[in-house]
Amino acid sequence: MVMKNPKLARVAKGARLELVPLQVLVPVVSTIIALGIGLLIIAATGASVLEAIEAFWDGMAGSDFNIGASINRAISLALVGLGFIFASRANLTNVGGEGQIAMGGMFATAAALHGAGDLPLGLAFIVPLAVGTIAGAVWGGLAGFLKAARGTNEVISTLLLSFIALPLVYWSVESFHLLRKPISDVSSLPESAEIPDTTKLPLLFPDNGSPLHIGLLIAAIAVVVVWLVLKHSTLGLRLRAVGLNATASRRAGMRTSFYVILAMTVSGGLGGLGGAIMILGQQFYLTSDFSSGYGFDGLVVGLLSRGSAVGVVIGALLFGFLRSGSINMEISAHVPSAVVLICQGLIVIVIAGSAILTNRKVTR
Amino acid sequence: MALLELSGLTKRFGAFTALDDISLLIERGEVHCLLGENGAGKSTLCNLVFGVHRPDAGTMTLGGEPFDPRGPAEALQRGVVMVHQHFSLVPNMSVAENLMLGRASAVLKPQDIIVRMEQLAAEYGLEIDPEARIDELSVGERQRVEIIKCLLGDPQLLVLDEPTAVLQPGEIDALLAICRQVALRGKSVILVTHKLGEISRVADRTTVLRQGRIIETVTMEGADIRSLVRSMVGRDVQSAGSVLAAAVDIEGKTPAKPSDAAGPVSPGEAVLQISDLVYRDPHGVPRLDGLSLTVGTGEIVGIAGVEGNGQTELGLILAGLAAPSAGAIVVGGTQVGGCTPQEITDAGVGIVPEDRHAVACIKELSVAENLFLGAIGKFSRFGLLDKSARRKAAEAMMRDFDVRASSPDVSMASLSGGNQQKAVLARELSLDPLVFLLAAQPTRGLDVGAIEAVYNRIRAARDDGLGVLLISSELEELMAVSDRIAVIYRGKLVGELAAGAFSREAIGAMMSGHAHV
Repeated sequence: MVMKNPKLARVAKGARLELVPLQVLVPVVSTIIALGIGLLIIAATGASVLEAIEAFWDGMAGSDFNIGASINRAISLALVGLGFIFASRANLTNVGGEGQIAMGGMFATAAALHGAGDLPLGLAFIVPLAVGTIAGAVWGGLAGFLKAARGTNEVISTLLLSFIALPLVYWSVESFHLLRKPISDVSSLPESAEIPDTTKLPLLFPDNGSPLHIGLLIAAIAVVVVWLVLKHSTLGLRLRAVGLNATASRRAGMRTSFYVILAMTVSGGLGGLGGAIMILGQQFYLTSDFSSGYGFDGLVVGLLSRGSAVGVVIGALLFGFLRSGSINMEISAHVPSAVVLICQGLIVIVIAGSAILTNRKVTR
Repeated sequence: MALLELSGLTKRFGAFTALDDISLLIERGEVHCLLGENGAGKSTLCNLVFGVHRPDAGTMTLGGEPFDPRGPAEALQRGVVMVHQHFSLVPNMSVAENLMLGRASAVLKPQDIIVRMEQLAAEYGLEIDPEARIDELSVGERQRVEIIKCLLGDPQLLVLDEPTAVLQPGEIDALLAICRQVALRGKSVILVTHKLGEISRVADRTTVLRQGRIIETVTMEGADIRSLVRSMVGRDVQSAGSVLAAAVDIEGKTPAKPSDAAGPVSPGEAVLQISDLVYRDPHGVPRLDGLSLTVGTGEIVGIAGVEGNGQTELGLILAGLAAPSAGAIVVGGTQVGGCTPQEITDAGVGIVPEDRHAVACIKELSVAENLFLGAIGKFSRFGLLDKSARRKAAEAMMRDFDVRASSPDVSMASLSGGNQQKAVLARELSLDPLVFLLAAQPTRGLDVGAIEAVYNRIRAARDDGLGVLLISSELEELMAVSDRIAVIYRGKLVGELAAGAFSREAIGAMMSGHAHV
């Protein structure tokens, strides 16, 4: 009926035309505004703003090593972010990335320490990665099962499952019969032994000192696969249908419970893979707080991407580099890294707020 | 002097202009009907008068004073009351308690309410038991409570938004009589409807709206009903024949037998057999109570009944969205009671569900995606969608079923209700195998042109040998399309009429539980 009226049709077309840039514009502008506010806060702490920026830049991309470290951070964030958008395709909100990372990292460590190290042909690190992925998948799938069977809100269940996973990791590194390394001297910390060298992820550029490892390739494959599945596969369409209208999907013959569990399982599996890569790629031993907020940063990456796999890549890189920069800023310029956390929070708030604005344009 | 004067009212929702420069006078003591198809702006106009929305341009005066209600509360204060399509009554409270809601000052005085109710009963014939609980009342009685609630404050203007849509024939007559009584006492009534039969019985004047504009305002005395239809639809409906006349209830009566029903009327073997179907809702209340029904090949069986007598549950069970508590459903030899939707589809059952937006389609998805919602895997290679093949198939289907959309890729939500329903019909009628079609409220909310198309589709399906079960709350529709009408009352079939023996009175009596077969 709307289209009959040429004037209305033109207005509708105009709204669609300006929509595309808006989706790019909004995150970019929000980031710039948030960073600007961050600079003001740095100035308010009394530190030299120039010095802080210099240290920040140096930490992010000052050397091959720093660039590699930043990208390594981005890899795990990207995997959690991909998991988030995968679940959100089925209209499920997986906020349990932290717990899924923890489970993935813990089981990957266990696999690496207990047997995988002796496997041939790269299986030494592939098996722990797979074990970590499965652990995360189970943790996510559990929330999916609760949702499908009992209607439990997945936001609550994934969050609470994280509160279970984190103490589990703590327990595992506290207990000698689990993962805690045997006491060799008096000051032994509650952490696991270092994983065997064979289980560590191979470096991409072993010659130039960059810590960049093959997790980058794994993440790249994950990005392409998730993008294909969500945008171009029958599975993606079914997930979307179930998420948008479960009753209509059920009527059309889809097993809605299956897809809910599947979406959460894959989502959790990607988080578990991210956790496994953190241990095998850069940390090499399990500590009680090894996940330290990566799950929540990954969640933010997923939110900011607005459902796009490419958006996840951009967001993960942004947050990976921000994190590296902030660590260096704290060390060299004595600016609290909390400032960067504040910036991240501001980015989220500004984008979430502006999403309301862009969404309104979409619906009318 | 007019009671309510609207001048230049315009209301936009985003880019969509719902009302465009509306100027209208409502006289004291008149029943003024607003006539128009869905989306013509009738409800928006009511909502402006009642303060639910505020106009983007234009002014209103009420009794000569400027009237610009910022909310329903202010409209109520000025003596404007409205009965919405959906009632706002608390089901587990008594009539008197409901009437006290919102009016009670610190001290409740049930006695005052009861005295006032008696006055209203005497004045308007609005009889109702003050002690009865709302959930024990029929829909018509509940509406009566809503009207009493409105009249308690002695209003100047009563706005009724599609009040007859939920009523059975006898109740409609009573409601129209009440409207006349209200007008006789110098109050004004705005009555929204799309049924012309009612208008000719009750209105003093009628305003026809189309696409947010006033087409004409006519005095009903000596008015030509056909010209009203023309104004409403925007074209001549003579060609469409009795179907259309039935759809808008032009004569207030129906042709004895659908004249366009040229197809085979003698039903063949049974394609759907329901025996002793029982369904209890999660609270244990029986919604279907031993319902038995047979539909043969090549016949359309209509189910008449006041809403809430088990039609919805019957539809859900046939669609596989609810499991029967007892009883059997057999389609073409296959037992399908309690089966999954997929198994039911495989048995050759097409379903046009009652709730188009909640069950039939996913409005955020594209038309093509909706057309193949049950066959997503049909256009795929290695799990990846073959969108161009799907698009081609969708285009062919849209051509065959006259689904009008600029492309198969636009969202379902951008289609009119009629085109959405045509798409649903296209999908369900393209199923293979297909032996039985359930059409539940298939024309609800559709405009006249689309109603015609839906009827033709259903008839064509019947002529192709399908068994069709048509569940509808529109008696005219049932009488125009069905080969046989069964009447449902409290979860049971209480009577059945063969083609040629349809009568409004007989069906109406059975619908209200006075079964005379």
